[in-house]
Amino acid sequence: MAVMAARAQKPLELILARNLLTSLSTPAFLVDEKAQLVFYNEAAGALLGRPFEDVGRMSPEKWISTYGPIGEDGEPMPLDDLPTTRAIRNGRPAHASFRIRSADGAEREIASSAFPIVASERGSSGAMILFWPTNDQGSEGDE
Amino acid sequence: MKIRVWGARGSVPAPGPEMVRYGGNTSSVQLLLDSGEQLLLDSGTGIRTLGLSLAAAPRVNILLTHLHLDHIQGLMFFPPCFRSDAEIAIWGPASPEASLEDRIARYISAPLSPVEVRELPCSVSFRDTPPSRWRIGSATVVCEAVNHRGPTLGFRITEGDTTVCYIPDHEPVLGTELADLDPEWISGYDLARDADLLIHDCQYADEEYPAHIGWGHSGMSDALTFASRVGARRVLLFHHDPLHSDSFLDRLRGTARRRWEELGNDPALVEMAMEGGELEVAGTALPAGVPA
Ligand SMILES: [Zn+2]
Ligand SMILES: [Zn+2]
Repeated sequence: MAVMAARAQKPLELILARNLLTSLSTPAFLVDEKAQLVFYNEAAGALLGRPFEDVGRMSPEKWISTYGPIGEDGEPMPLDDLPTTRAIRNGRPAHASFRIRSADGAEREIASSAFPIVASERGSSGAMILFWPTNDQGSEGDE
Repeated sequence: MKIRVWGARGSVPAPGPEMVRYGGNTSSVQLLLDSGEQLLLDSGTGIRTLGLSLAAAPRVNILLTHLHLDHIQGLMFFPPCFRSDAEIAIWGPASPEASLEDRIARYISAPLSPVEVRELPCSVSFRDTPPSRWRIGSATVVCEAVNHRGPTLGFRITEGDTTVCYIPDHEPVLGTELADLDPEWISGYDLARDADLLIHDCQYADEEYPAHIGWGHSGMSDALTFASRVGARRVLLFHHDPLHSDSFLDRLRGTARRRWEELGNDPALVEMAMEGGELEVAGTALPAGVPA
């Protein structure tokens, strides 16, 4: 069959990143080049109170409205300040601390680091975002 | 389109009396287009004998999936390289580290080689190839990065309504399960989707794979699950482990056919690549189950 249908597959570097995240116990997200959430791992599911399979892909706006991140100044965190947005937009790593409302109603303080995933001439194909809960035990050393 | 296999072995040449039928030469496949042009897939040691079969003043395109030695070792012994009337274009993965020519020249240079690239009498050009789509003669070639060790491409070649996909070194199952995985997360999916012929890595028998996770290759069942998920019509299992004798590969072929049938496909449409083997490939106009 000669016809090549519209692209179904993610770039290899995102596929490999997802495979890595599935084997980490560090909560982690994966977003595509438009900052759309395309995957998070089981550890992140525990943090957010809901597994990725129940949520599916999500726009950054939806993420903000669902989890309502509150910045260190006590104000709702604008989309532009999220590490994910900054990493995708500027092509550089970004870090921030904020509070989120998880699906089970709990408020959690987390520190989040995002870094862009760049492969070959195609440029950035997304970002990987790691989370550390900072109000749990064992968070020593976090900001 | 016609396919001729000149080397089906992976990793290292494996000659010997127990390797006579499947052959000991490493990756080399000749793709003869209906238009009369040809594409040479990889340049393992099989390309040496392929080169002897070519007419005078050949113009050839060599598509390299990657630069592991089993895919380039034959280049230095490819007879057209030493003919001043030959024109050779070599396509291979781009790298931020060095140009394709410089990376190949690490092999074709002292002390590993008696000649340098610049001394080759043929006209040779090197085409650093990022994931892309382009035309060579009557064929459309698409290449994409696939999961192996180091920068590695797979190729999808379409002429008319016929598509062949070549992914000789590939471990799509690494860190995941293929059976239920959404296609968007399967390495090589777009390349191999609905191919009339998929030539795919089958380095290991299933029982050998667990000891080789992360080595960049596939076990037999994983290769067939991949082939089934992408909807390949026909499968040529390739890149045989150098330890696999003719009798071992005969048995693996039987197991592969049963596995392919369990996956809901016609067992006659899976085959082990064999040095010297030829296949006619036609588009999907043929009813399923009828060997082209
Ligand atoms: Zn190989
Ligand atoms: Zn290889």
